[in-house]
Parts: sequence; C-alpha cells; structure tokens
Amino acid sequence: MFSEREILSVVEMLKNENLDVRAVTLGINLLDCASDDIGRFTDNVYARITGAARNLVKECDEVEDKYGIPVVNKRISVSPIAVAGAPFNAEQMLIVAKTLNEAATDVRVDFIGGFSALVEKGIARGDRALIEAMPQALTDTQRVCASVNVASTRAGINIDAVLLMGKTIKEAARLTADRDGLACAKLCVFANIPQDIPFMAGAYLGVGEADAVINVGVSGPGVVKKAIDRAVGSNPDLNLGQVSEIIKHTAYKVTRIGELIGREVAQHLGIKFGVVDLSLAPTPNVGDSVGEIFQSLGLASIGVPGSTVALALLNDAVKKGGAFASSKVGGLSGAFIPVSEDLNISQAAAQGHLSIEKLEAMTCVCSVGLDMVAIPGDTSEETLAAIIADEMAIGVINKKTTATRLIPVPGKKAGDHAFFGGLLGESIIMPVNNATGENRFLRRGGLIPSPIHSLVN
Amino acid sequence: MKKMIISVLGKDRPGIIAAVTRILFEQNCNIENVSQTILQNEFSGIFIVGVPKSLSEADLHRHLDDGLSPMGLHVYEKRLSEANESRTAVESEPFVVTTMGPDRKGLVAAITAIMASHRVNVTNLQAVFKGGDDPYANIMIYEVDIPNDANHQALRQELREKALALSLDISIQHKLIFEAINRI
Repeated sequence: MFSEREILSVVEMLKNENLDVRAVTLGINLLDCASDDIGRFTDNVYARITGAARNLVKECDEVEDKYGIPVVNKRISVSPIAVAGAPFNAEQMLIVAKTLNEAATDVRVDFIGGFSALVEKGIARGDRALIEAMPQALTDTQRVCASVNVASTRAGINIDAVLLMGKTIKEAARLTADRDGLACAKLCVFANIPQDIPFMAGAYLGVGEADAVINVGVSGPGVVKKAIDRAVGSNPDLNLGQVSEIIKHTAYKVTRIGELIGREVAQHLGIKFGVVDLSLAPTPNVGDSVGEIFQSLGLASIGVPGSTVALALLNDAVKKGGAFASSKVGGLSGAFIPVSEDLNISQAAAQGHLSIEKLEAMTCVCSVGLDMVAIPGDTSEETLAAIIADEMAIGVINKKTTATRLIPVPGKKAGDHAFFGGLLGESIIMPVNNATGENRFLRRGGLIPSPIHSLVN
Repeated sequence: MKKMIISVLGKDRPGIIAAVTRILFEQNCNIENVSQTILQNEFSGIFIVGVPKSLSEADLHRHLDDGLSPMGLHVYEKRLSEANESRTAVESEPFVVTTMGPDRKGLVAAITAIMASHRVNVTNLQAVFKGGDDPYANIMIYEVDIPNDANHQALRQELREKALALSLDISIQHKLIFEAINRI
C-alpha cells in the first residue's frame, strides 16, 4: 500500500516531466564472426546481428506498454570493427559499414554503434583501414555510428591519431556538405572510452564483454529541472547543499526505473543485463534540456560564470543518487552538454553566453566533452586536431572519459545556422580561435606520454 | 475454535482498539488479523478472530455491544465459513490506477464498472473528494489486480475514454514502478 503522496509524485514524474528510458542498447559480440573473406565475414555479421536483435524492438515495445514508460531509442552496439574486421582494407570496411546499416534497418533500430577503432597507443592495419573508410561509410549509411579512442590515461595521447582524425572529420564534412556535414555528427573521438556506453554516437561493445549484453541509458533532465523548480518554489532560500540532495533523490528515482525496465527487457530476450548509464541526456525538446537546469539553479544561462561549478554540483549529485539506485553502473554516467541536441544550450550559444572555451572548461567536470559543436567550415585540419588534443588532455590527466563530436560545417561561418534534424538538432556555428591558422606544435606528431599518475601498479 | 469476522464502526477517539481487544481477551478469543482505518473522523476496524466453541455468537455480540455501545460504537459479527478462504486465485499483475479531476457524483461507480467488466479486482482504494475543480483535491487511487488473460488494451481504452468523458486525468501504471521508486 502506497501513500497518496508517493503515488502522486510518481504519476507526476511520468506525466509532466518527460521521464523515460532514453536508450536500451543491445551489445553484440562480433569477434567470432572473424574471417579474412569479406563475403563470409559480412554474412556472419549480418546473421549474428539480425539473430540476436530480432526481438529487441518488439520486447522493448512490450515492456514499454506494460509499464507505460517510453523506451525512446532501441539501439545496437557491436565489437570494434577495426578488431573484428582487422584483415580488411578501406574499401572492404565500407562494405562492412553497409552491412551494419542493413542489419540495423532490418531489425528496426535507429543507430548501430561500433564502427570503431582503439588507437591510443598505436594504429594497426585494421584501424587505419577503418578510419580511412569512415568519411565514405558515414556518408553512405544512415544508422552507423563511429568512434575512435585516441588517448587514455594509461597510454597517453596518440597525436598521430589525433591528426588523422582532424583530417577524417574534414573529409566526412566535405562529403556531406549538402547536409551541413551530417556525417561528423555520427563520429566521436574519445579519451578513455568506456566499453559499455549505451548512448550514441560513442556506443561500442568492448572486447572484454560477453557475447551479448543489455545496457540501459536513463535520462531525465526534465525530471531534475522540475524537482529543483518545485523545491525552490516551496523554499526560495534553499542552499546548494539542499539543492544537491534534491537532485540526488531525483536521480535515484530515475535510475530505479531505468534498471527495472532494462532488467525486464534483458530477461525477455534471455540476455545478461549489463549496466545502467546514469547520464542526463537532453533532446531538442523544451522541458528535456540540461541547459534549462542551469536556469532553474539560478544562472542567467548555461555558459555564464558559475556554469562550471553548477555542472560539477549537478553531475556529482546525479552520480551519487544513481550509484545507490543501481547495482551496476557504467558507461559515461554524467551530464551531457551537446550543443545542437539541447535547445537551451544552442540558444545560449546563439545569444553569446556560451563559447567553445567555456564548453571545454565545463567538460572538466562532466562526462563526454565538446559534443555536437558546429564550427566554421574553414576550420583547418590542424586546428580541429588541436581542439581534439586539448579535450583529450583533460580526459587523460583527470582519469576520466572525454570526447569530441565536432562538425566543421562546409561553406558556413561563425554565426550562421547549421541544421542536422531529429535528435541531432540544430545550432548556431560557434567561432573558433585561430580557425584557419597553422599549428606547428601538433604537426610534430608522436605520442604524448601517459601522465605520472598512470604508474599505479 | 470457530472463525468470526467482527467490524466496529463509530466516531474516532483514543481507546477503541484497547476496548475491543480487552473484551476479546476476556472471552478467550484469539485475534488473527486486524485492519483499521480512519476516514475524516470516523473509525472503522475489522477483526478476524478465533472464538472458543463454548462461546455462542449471541453471547459474543452481547459482550462486545455492552462494552462498546457506551463509546458510541456499532458492532457487527459474522461467522466465517471455511469456503471463504478459497477464492480461486487468478494469475494477475498488480497495477495502480490514478485519476484526478473535478468532483461529481458517480465517479467511483463509473470507473469500477469498467474494472468489474474486465474482472479486475480492486485490492485497495483511496479516494478523496474535497469538491471544487482543483484536481489535487479530487483524487482516486486504485490498487488493482488485472488478470493476465484480460484484454489490457480494451481495458485501458475504455478507462481512458470514460476518464475523458468525466474530465478526469487518468494514469494506469504497473505497481512495480511505484515499488522501484518508493521502496528500497
């Protein structure tokens, strides 16, 4: 028997605050599909994915129906293709990407992640082929997401790989110039990439994972915002310690729901339950924004002084609440601040409250990094690489995940508008310091050694 | 021992449970289950007790009535037959149905008629109607068991349509959601 207050608070969360499960992602191991024959490999991959994920959408829909909680995105992550398809050249990698796209389409998932390479310490043959194939693969497919891990706290920063990614991103943008460089929105560059992210575009199934696993991404920026609004409404003098408690309690509730749904889907599919990723992931809808939380906390806009500390408070409280709620926490687990995907954040950029430098500072205290940032089309490969390297340094030194998803929008300049559509949203193009200038520091290449605190053994 | 169910009704005040149980104790009765609730200022209690064979139902009533009527309480007893315990259990899932909206006569009747037609069993009902148009002042919360073989979609649709016709905001959620959030 529940009290009236308990019942009504839950009903309210579901009805008015956009509480949902953001992503149920089925991880599928492709390593035993290995073959040096491209036809055989792609046949194996297609059969494996469509076999394992045949009922994914149906089961998610059934659980959604039973509990009345939307499972917004059903997705697949696979073993890094650079490893699973190591013998292949770039042309063959393109065929693999198309196979992934076809399998994803046939099982009705919107994205499939894992067109990925791990090159933090060196680039192997398969890695190079995959990265070379990336621009065309992301242009020719709709559902394939790619990621490259170029740095880690244990290995350091592979600047050669960073430079290669600068070039790759430019090329991907050029090939999709008619769509504002859309291919780049499906490509993340990482430091310390986790093996079990359920969120796109960074999801892939780590090589240390089992045959199949269900990972769940919970969300709920709307729920957190409303909880803060309600608390501040009833007590305008709330101090920040109390605000942190409120966010913590809310994150707990949201995570409990995510775990309940995830476990049920996993059980229906007969697949092991992996992790809950406790991230606040916004969408371009009003009321589903991380940026709006900053305003509820009392800042004029995300990006003004005070934003970094506010994000630190938010991120920490979300983790504490979520960690207590779930027995298995993983993935990125933090707040996302993707510019184009969050209406409020893209408005803050348009109004001049938020610069790319402030965004970078904020990524020191949250997960992900420079996410869905549209920058001028004439930004040079070197400058792109330099922005990536700066972001990687933050991750490597702070022993955390950071990433970039930068879109140099072809033919457009700072202040112009870029439109990606759907969940990817739209944004003003943010100015970049020394966009077209050269960068001799980066061009030296090589491996920046791992920091002293990586020597922990 | 025979089994009896006793209900006690009356204006709430301290000492009601003490009075009832003292009489039962004095008559050598054994309490198996008790549930009590207070609605506004009215007390209602239900007791399932084992009664010694030697104590007649008429005598039990006399003892209870003598002790409780001075407190303004009404007592009713009924013998429980063994058959009562074996209502055939139906495989079902627990849900919570919540409505909010303007008060008017017949709300509970309208909602429960649909539930009954789908063999939905109400296991707990809390309803508050303070009148007026404030939705939070007029709430019904049904904890129900919906048989697995019931037509869930038709049930949901009928409930939603009825709620719409009555200007009620309705929510139909699985009970596990409430447990996940409210219970550790």
